[in-house]
Amino acid sequence: MITFLRRRALTSVIPLAVVVLGVFCLARLTGNPASLYLPLNATDRMRQEFAERNGFDQPVLSQMFDYLGGVLRLDFGESLRTGQAAGGMALDAFPATLQLAGFTMLIAVLGSAVVGSWAALKPNGLADRVCSTMSMVAASVPDFWLAIVGVWIFAVTLGWLPTSGVTGHGIWILPIATLAVRPFGVLVQVVRGAMVSALSSPYVKLARSKGADDYRIVTRHALRNAAAPALTVAGDLTVGLVNGAVVVETIFGWPGIGKLMIDSILQRDFAVLQAAVLLTAVAIFVLNILIDVCYALLDARVRQTVKT
Amino acid sequence: MSLPSKLRAPRRNRAIGRFRAVRRRTAVAAAVSGFAVLVSSCTVANSDSLGGSGTGLRVVLPEEPPTLEPCESSLTSTGVVVRSNITQPLIERNPKSGDLDPLLATGWKRTSDTQWTFTMRDGVDFQDGTAFNARDAAYSIERAVNSDLGCNVDGYVFGEDPLEVEAVDEKTLTVESKEPDPILPLRLSFVEIVPTSTSTAKKVRQPVGTGPYEIGRWDTGLKLRLDRNKRYWGKAPAYENVTYQWRAEGTVRAAMVTSDEADVALKLGPLDGAGDLGVNHPNNETTALRLTGDEPPLDDPRIRRAVNYALDKRGIVKSLFSGLGKPAGQLVPSGVLGHNPGIKPWPHDLKKAKALVNAAKADGVPTGKQILMVGRNELFPRVSETAEVLQEQLTQAGLNIKLKMVDESAHLEYQLRPFVPDAGPVALLIQHGNQAGDAAFTVDQYMKAEGAQSVMGTKRFDRMIAEAGRKSGKARQDAYEELLDQQNSEVTQFAHIAHMTGVIALSPHVSYTPNSATNDEMRLADIRPAG
Repeated sequence: MITFLRRRALTSVIPLAVVVLGVFCLARLTGNPASLYLPLNATDRMRQEFAERNGFDQPVLSQMFDYLGGVLRLDFGESLRTGQAAGGMALDAFPATLQLAGFTMLIAVLGSAVVGSWAALKPNGLADRVCSTMSMVAASVPDFWLAIVGVWIFAVTLGWLPTSGVTGHGIWILPIATLAVRPFGVLVQVVRGAMVSALSSPYVKLARSKGADDYRIVTRHALRNAAAPALTVAGDLTVGLVNGAVVVETIFGWPGIGKLMIDSILQRDFAVLQAAVLLTAVAIFVLNILIDVCYALLDARVRQTVKT
Repeated sequence: MSLPSKLRAPRRNRAIGRFRAVRRRTAVAAAVSGFAVLVSSCTVANSDSLGGSGTGLRVVLPEEPPTLEPCESSLTSTGVVVRSNITQPLIERNPKSGDLDPLLATGWKRTSDTQWTFTMRDGVDFQDGTAFNARDAAYSIERAVNSDLGCNVDGYVFGEDPLEVEAVDEKTLTVESKEPDPILPLRLSFVEIVPTSTSTAKKVRQPVGTGPYEIGRWDTGLKLRLDRNKRYWGKAPAYENVTYQWRAEGTVRAAMVTSDEADVALKLGPLDGAGDLGVNHPNNETTALRLTGDEPPLDDPRIRRAVNYALDKRGIVKSLFSGLGKPAGQLVPSGVLGHNPGIKPWPHDLKKAKALVNAAKADGVPTGKQILMVGRNELFPRVSETAEVLQEQLTQAGLNIKLKMVDESAHLEYQLRPFVPDAGPVALLIQHGNQAGDAAFTVDQYMKAEGAQSVMGTKRFDRMIAEAGRKSGKARQDAYEELLDQQNSEVTQFAHIAHMTGVIALSPHVSYTPNSATNDEMRLADIRPAG
C-alpha cells in the first residue's frame, strides 16, 4: 500500500506542476488589474506606480520565475484587494468548504444508500418508481433556485431557519440541504442500478436459498458489491464540492474557497487565485488517493492489483 | 459447553475473522473520529455570536470591505463602513443640502487664489488616546494625496499636481494648490484624518481615527464589529456596537431584515422582496449609453440623436425599474451643483429616430454597420433586461446592434482610457454616480476631450469646462448648466436613460432616513432605535 501511495504521489507531481503554471498564465490572460484597483480617473503616474509596486512592469517570464520561487517557499504573495497574505487567505477559507462538502456528502451517501437499496428491492414497484422520479428531479434542480426558494420558505415565510449567517447550528441546514439534493439524486440512481444488478447475482440467490433475510442480504452481501460504482460517482461529486460550492457559498455568505476563487477571478487578484487553485488541486489529489484506498478496501481484486 | 470439533471453524478462519473484526472496528472508529473532527471544526465557520441584539445594530452589506484603509474610502465597500464612522474628515458634505459642514475643522477660508486656511477643532482625541491637531491633518493629506501609497481617493478627487500642505501651528493648517481651486474644501472632505503614527510605507487594514466608532473585531469573511468610541468628542451614537455582515444576493439581504436577522440592508433592487420594509432614496446614479464618435455610423451626429429619440426612457423606468427612478436628460442629477433643471429628457419618438437614420443613410452613412452595445452584469438591478430592451429599441430605429454583457473588469476596458482597440463603434451602458456633489466630478471625466472616461469632445468645449472649473457660487452653477445643455445639443456623446433610485430595507426597530450618500457613506450616528 505504501508503494502504491508513493507511486500515486509521484504521478501527481506533473499534473500539479501543470496546474501551477496554467493558473499563472490563464490569470494573466484576463488582463491588467490596474483599472480595478485604481480610481476611474487615475493618472498615468498612478498606473505606473501601481505596476511597479506589484511587479506587473516586469517581463512575464520574470514574473513567472518569481511566482515559482514563491510557490517553493510556500509564499504566494499578497492579495491586491486586501493586502493580506494570499496563502493565509486560501488556508482560512478552505476549512469552511471542507466542512460543507464533508457534511453534504455524508448525508447524500448515507441517504442514497438507504433509498437506492430500498428502491432496488422491488424493481418497477411503487417505491422504485417514486424514488426514481424523485431522484431525477433532485438531480436536475438548479442549486441557486433551490437556495433562494429555501430561504423564502423556511426563513422568511415559516421562520424556522436563519436565512444565512455565522452563528448557531441552524445556519448549516439550508446550505447543506441545498447542496445535498443533487448528489443525493444522482447517487440514488447509481446505487439503485448497482443494487438491482447485485441483487440478481448468484451469490445473492445462494444467500436467499440459505434463508438470509432482505436486511442481511442488502447490508452484508449486495451493498458492498454495489459500492464501487457509487464510490466512483461520489468521488466525482465530492471533488466538485471541494472545488467550491460557489453558488451556495455566495448566497449564504459562506466564507469558503469557491467564493474566494470567484472573487479573486472577478477582481483579478492573481496571488489569491493562484494560492486557492493550488490548494484545491492538492486537496483533490489527496481526495483521489483516498478514493483509491477505499476501492482497495472494498474490493479484493483491486487490493491484489495494488500489491502487485 | 463446547462445540464438536467438526463444527468449529478452523484456526486460520478464526484468525481471519478476528482480523476482519478488528479492521471493521478500526474503520468505524476512524469514521466516528472523522465525523467528530468535522463537527468540532464547525466552530471555524461559526465563531461567536453576533453583537446585534439589544444594544447593537446589525447591518448587511452586498460585499465585505476589502480593507478599512481610510485613503481607500472613495471605494464604496470601504467608505460605507469607514467614512464618518471610524475616521472623519476635516469637513463633511451634507448630502441633503449640499452644504459643507465643519467636522474636525471648525472653519476655513480662502486666503489667496490658490491657498485655503483651516482651523482645527479643540478637544479631539484619536481612538488610541493621542490628541488630534493640525499636524495630523497635514500628515493625512500628504499621505492620501502626495505619497506613493497609490490611494484611491487621490485619483478620484485630486489631479496630477501635488498639494502643498503646512501645519502652521497646532490649530492652523494651510493647503495650497498649483491652480486656483474654488472647491478645494469639498475635495478635502474626502480625506479621512488619521494620526501621524499611521504607516506611509504600507496601507493599513484597520485604522485609528476620531470617529464615533472604533474597530472591535473583524473576523475576515464572516463579520465586522464596531464598538462605540468612548473617547468620542461629539455626542455618543445611539448604538453601543454595530455588526456588519455581507451577502451578495439582494434577496437574501432583504430576507435578513424581514426575518429580523438584520436591521439595515443596503443596495437592494425593487424586486428583492423587502416589501413594506423597503425605503427608497435618491442615490445620485445616472444610467446612460455612452456613444463613440470616431467611427461610422456613430460619428454622424444624426445617428447619435436618433439613438436618443429611439429610447423609451419612461417605459424602461416604469416596467424595468418598477417606477423607481426618473427619465434623465443629463448625467448630473438634481441636488448636485451644476444640475440644469431646464434640460428635459429626449422624447421617445421612433418616427423621428427612423427619419434621422434614413437621412444619414441617404447621405452615404453606413447605418447598417454593427454597433457593439456593451453592458455590465450586476451594474444595477435588471441590467440584462434593460440592455435587451435598449438593443430592441435601437434595432427598431434601423440600427444594427450587437449586445455583449461582460463583468466589471472587462467593462472597465471599454470605459477607461486606453479604450479597447479596434472595437468599432461602441454604445457603452454606464452608470455614473456623482457623490461629490459638484458637476466638475462628472464633466472632467466624461466630457473633456481627453477625459478618463470620455470618447468625444471639442477644444471649445474643453475651454468651457476649464473656465467653469475656475468659477464659484452662482457663476459656477450657470457655467455647468450651460455645459450640460451644450453636451446634448452639440456633442451628444450620451443617450441618457434614468436618474436612479436606491432601495434599502429597514427594520421596524430602527429609525433612519436614507439619503443620496447612504450607499457610499452610511453615518451610523444618524441611525437610532425607533420610537
